Amino acid sequence: MDGQLLEPTLYTIKGIAILDNDGNRILAKYYDKNVFPTSKEQKTFEKNLFNKTHRANAEIIMLDGLTCVYKSNVDLFFYVMGSSHENELILMSVLNCLYESVSHILRKNVEKRAVLDSLDIVMLALDEICDGGIILDADATSVVQRVALRTDDIPLGEQTVAQVLQSAKEQLKWSLLK
Amino acid sequence: MNAFKRDKKEEEDGGNPFQNLEKTTVLQEARTFNDTPVNPRKCAHILTKILYLLNQGEQLGTTEATEAFFAMTKLFQSRDVVLRRLVYLGIKELSSIAEDVIIVTSSLTKDMTGKEDLYRAAAIRALCTITDGAMLATIERYMKQAIVDRSPAVSSAALVSTVHLKNVSGDVARRWANEAQEALNSDNIMVQYHALGVLYQARKSDKHAVIKLVAKLMRSSLKSPYAACLLIRMACKLLDEVDEGTELLEFIESCIRHKSEMVVYEAAHALINLGRSSTREIASAISVLQLFCGSPKPALRFAAVRTLNKVAMTHPAAVTACNLDLENLITDSNRSIATLAITTLLKTGAESSVDR
Repeated sequence: MDGQLLEPTLYTIKGIAILDNDGNRILAKYYDKNVFPTSKEQKTFEKNLFNKTHRANAEIIMLDGLTCVYKSNVDLFFYVMGSSHENELILMSVLNCLYESVSHILRKNVEKRAVLDSLDIVMLALDEICDGGIILDADATSVVQRVALRTDDIPLGEQTVAQVLQSAKEQLKWSLLK
Repeated sequence: MNAFKRDKKEEEDGGNPFQNLEKTTVLQEARTFNDTPVNPRKCAHILTKILYLLNQGEQLGTTEATEAFFAMTKLFQSRDVVLRRLVYLGIKELSSIAEDVIIVTSSLTKDMTGKEDLYRAAAIRALCTITDGAMLATIERYMKQAIVDRSPAVSSAALVSTVHLKNVSGDVARRWANEAQEALNSDNIMVQYHALGVLYQARKSDKHAVIKLVAKLMRSSLKSPYAACLLIRMACKLLDEVDEGTELLEFIESCIRHKSEMVVYEAAHALINLGRSSTREIASAISVLQLFCGSPKPALRFAAVRTLNKVAMTHPAAVTACNLDLENLITDSNRSIATLAITTLLKTGAESSVDR
């Protein structure tokens, strides 16, 4: 029974992936060198995972000795993987944070096209959620604060007065410098 | 209007702007990084392409990686937040392939000690990926300060990096344990969690130190559910090693009444897998798992039925109480849950339930 007792460690996440609706990788990170060491093995696993999950909207599955929790929207699939003995609810909290952060970054427009348009920010968000397999933050609001969204991307109505002033100032400065 | 604009855009770049990227072309584009002044938008886009290629599993040779890395260091001239953060990501990705990555040490140390919190946390994490044994002494003072910083992002970044640094030097966690101890009192749930992780790492070779740490924290209920789960695991490990431990067992049992489901499940899972819980403790674990079986969340049902399946092997009689709940799960839309429910029932079921 000893195998079931988890070593007390901060290393919780084995992998995080975002796939499109053909099962192709948009972003994926594997944090444990013993789990799928080569990119070929990773992609085979992703294909397999996608085939098993894209029709069943079931939220959780065991595959290749990993517990994978997942969530999908329009043409995107979000996955968080952990060891098969890991607390599923911890994995779920990470998945929810990932999804909500991405949704917030894309202003609720969660689809492939939008992710690719803001890929840089989504990469930063992923980096803020998990650092080398350790959960860095699992609160979407604070993740979004930390990735520093470009202020000029936010529609005028949602900006604060200070932000509007700041961007006006910068535009003025540049027009003078020209 | 919007749809029209979008169609046009899609025609231009064929749907996915990152499809059909050529490694050599992108690396050539990286020469733009040398331009002064830096164009943040353009450079951020090129850097994103490089990161995308690496993420897709593209392999870079040492020379290619080193060239790209050095071009990237030029981007430190720009103060654009997004670009700077992407540079940190690039440093982390390329640090294992490129040579002489140590060159960015001073830039990163400067960002780490600067005023901008958004830079500091991320700079610490990037810096620690390029740190080697010799460099550790120079950054030690800054790291200790960062661990007790009032910004949770900075503190967490430093604590998490401490854990990663054990590959560089085995005793960093022990050297920085005093600071981690202070961070443990933080109000931020993640800082508390990371601090506990560092403290455990610092003391895990000394059983008595771990016993003392656990005993102290057992009484001062932790605010962070993540830290509480970690503490339960530490207690389990101790119970596995020591002979006495009634207090530890009582503590784990008390966690079953925690307000966070995550901790409740962790405690139930622990009691069942410990192998030295008494019938009373097993029964209380089973009763919460029974509640979880009716949860609308598939992950919770899955967790519960998987653990019940396990306990059914050793205590089939105790699980019989859940038979009705398990029968409901046979038709669950998640096939893993249904399968687990059926196999559990095979161990606990009696003839009387066949009719239903």
